[in-house]
Amino acid sequence: MLKNLVVNPNKCTGCRLCELACSYKHFKVVSPSKSRIHVVRMPHEAIDTPIYCIQCGLCIDACPFEAISRSKETGAIKVDMNKCTGCGICVFVCPYGAASIDPDDHKALICDLCGGDPECVKVCPENALLYLDADKAVAYKRIAFSRLQRKELIALMPDKR
Amino acid sequence: MASGKLYGYSGKVLRIDLGKGKVVKEDTRVDLLKLYLGGTGYAARILWDELKKSVDPLSPENKLIVTTGPLTGTLAPSSGSVEFCFKSPLTGIFGQTRAGGKFGPKLKFAGYDFIIVEGVADNPVYINIFDDDVEIKDASHIWGKTVHEATEILLEETGNLDASVACIGPGGEKLIRFANIMVDFDRAAGRCGGGAVMGSKRLKAIVVDGDRPIEIAKPEEFYDAAMEAINALSKVREELGLYGTAGGISSMNEEGRLPAKNFQTCYYEEVEKLSGEELSRKYLIKRRACFSCPVGCGRYVWVPSGKYMTPPHEGAEYETVDMIGIQSLMKSMEPLLRADYLCNTYGIDSISAGNVIAFAIEAFEKGLITEQDTDGIKLRWGDAEACLALLQMIIERRGIGDLLAEGVRRTAEKLGKNAEDFACHGKGLEVPAHDTRGTSKSFAIQYAIGNPRGACHIEPAWSGMWDSVRVTLGLRDFGLPWPPPDRFEETGVKRGEACRLIWLFGELASLLGICRLPMQAEEDSNLNIRRLSALVSALTGWDLDPKTLLTISDRVYTLKRCFNVREGISRKDDKLPKRLMEPLKTGPTKGQKVENLDAMLDEVYEALGWDKATGKPTKEKLKELGLDDVAEVIWPQ
Repeated sequence: MLKNLVVNPNKCTGCRLCELACSYKHFKVVSPSKSRIHVVRMPHEAIDTPIYCIQCGLCIDACPFEAISRSKETGAIKVDMNKCTGCGICVFVCPYGAASIDPDDHKALICDLCGGDPECVKVCPENALLYLDADKAVAYKRIAFSRLQRKELIALMPDKR
Repeated sequence: MASGKLYGYSGKVLRIDLGKGKVVKEDTRVDLLKLYLGGTGYAARILWDELKKSVDPLSPENKLIVTTGPLTGTLAPSSGSVEFCFKSPLTGIFGQTRAGGKFGPKLKFAGYDFIIVEGVADNPVYINIFDDDVEIKDASHIWGKTVHEATEILLEETGNLDASVACIGPGGEKLIRFANIMVDFDRAAGRCGGGAVMGSKRLKAIVVDGDRPIEIAKPEEFYDAAMEAINALSKVREELGLYGTAGGISSMNEEGRLPAKNFQTCYYEEVEKLSGEELSRKYLIKRRACFSCPVGCGRYVWVPSGKYMTPPHEGAEYETVDMIGIQSLMKSMEPLLRADYLCNTYGIDSISAGNVIAFAIEAFEKGLITEQDTDGIKLRWGDAEACLALLQMIIERRGIGDLLAEGVRRTAEKLGKNAEDFACHGKGLEVPAHDTRGTSKSFAIQYAIGNPRGACHIEPAWSGMWDSVRVTLGLRDFGLPWPPPDRFEETGVKRGEACRLIWLFGELASLLGICRLPMQAEEDSNLNIRRLSALVSALTGWDLDPKTLLTISDRVYTLKRCFNVREGISRKDDKLPKRLMEPLKTGPTKGQKVENLDAMLDEVYEALGWDKATGKPTKEKLKELGLDDVAEVIWPQ
């Protein structure tokens, strides 16, 4: 069964260790700008949320250079760095801001689930990021989507953990 | 450094002259990094070299140095630090003050280890930094705005919602001597009046962001060390993460260490109304961590309704709860949270503010301040309304508030009579929320020596960890005397060796660019010196073993003392406020006082390598640390 990366945003404290671990894993440097996951903090709202790639694949068809495909083993997006021109169409079609362009080499940055062993999940001190079998992950995905619908209501609601 | 390439550091220093409107990019001096590591150590050397003796802290000659350390912004846990160094307008000696948040990391991602701000701008300005682009921009539209308003406007104006903003509020603009520098809305670089230094330079804010990576000399080693350290902190996370720093309030009270009523007692009967548990149960919206911190002690809180309605903000740390709430004997969390918010958004230090408010209440009780000074407000213990009104007067520098804004030392001097008897400061820095009598004798000596910034609980380290909390901190292998003595024992207990080691260990936080809180725990679960050594060695590629780190720390600690000696500090200044010498009259630690301060000073001076007659670091000590040029200044022929 494929595994899914899911998030429990209630638990995120906004420490951003996931961003640092992601850039380390792929580039052996520390750089949020080279990370494929990003925590959004709304300073005046009760929101610290990791924005991560849900592997929807919209970018696959959109890429004019056929640089993006899906891995059979992990189900994750793969970017062929030789084909990627950094044109930015993947950023354009990504509804979440999960795809971005590396400021150094101008290539697409899209989560590849670290080949099936996501580093962000390992470093998260709050267990806000989870890598679960599809049958277990689905409940988290539904809750995430329902929160999207009710976003105006969750602002400032005390979180009882 | 074998290869010549700099790892861990960003490699550049921004030198900004606001008077000339000039921005210069210099290379970070590797010779200084080797000797001082970074952070406040690097800044101490710059301030020693570049500030003339007796410079007026609010004049164009003073400099504000924004510092990061090698670990700042890396995967090293709790490395979201930024430290500001300057000559303090509150104390007249070395000023350093730290905030969490993400400013330090962002500065490094922009490509800079330090910013040195010089001169005074003609009109209010802010500095906007994104990678190579550094601009000095007009800030007249945000001058007068609160921290929260100004931060909001700057984030929108620069179009970068993820940038970090360090700014001052009206407190800094009005040169309140304990004005702070606020980072990312609510993280405070609180102490020593850094906000007033920014205000005097007409520098409203610094906005920073960047895209540059931090490179690692030995990536695999560094990553393993970082993951090991992050995992080790899980116990600290369980404790501090649960109720925040204010979680310590109740136990501190039970043990008779929690100052109340302007340090008249160390016990507060109604403490449960102001405990960390109460805060988290009733007012917590969520926990918030600083950049790269697995502990997450930050509290995002609010008072949703009622008389003391307070917008959501990060706040009410242990220090604020005690200094504003318990010192004035408040009976509810809500006015305290309101006061906490006001301190943050008007940009004043809640420790100093709480100290001067409690002092004012006592002075009112004793008739040194009257209703004429307070616009008719009767200052009474436990009267939260009066406290908030007085806080507002300080913020606006109105009536007696104008005097209190000068800090407790200057206020007491001005009031005269016996005011100094209950003005609790060390070298002009308002004493924070730990009573030396109820805590331990190591703690008493820490306040008395107050190196570098005056009576402080956490800078360079919380030395009560040894004889009060009784944890090894991982220092036994490096000579920490063990077991520690009874916490109230005064002399003949190897206090000098213990304090020296703990202070040098604590100093490392401000050199490496990490938070002190995760260092202060049992050795299996803290950021101990072995972990720090492994992290910084793998990051920089330099061989920085624990002994080398402690030597560097010693050099910095000693140099900061020399800075203060140059400003006129000597043994006579190493004292406790009168109140902290008197026996405690009530509570679990009733009767505790300090008897042999002089004998304790002798012991600690000896261990530090300081001259017993003058309190100066000896020539031999300075030579041993390679500070020969400094020795020539403080020991003139």
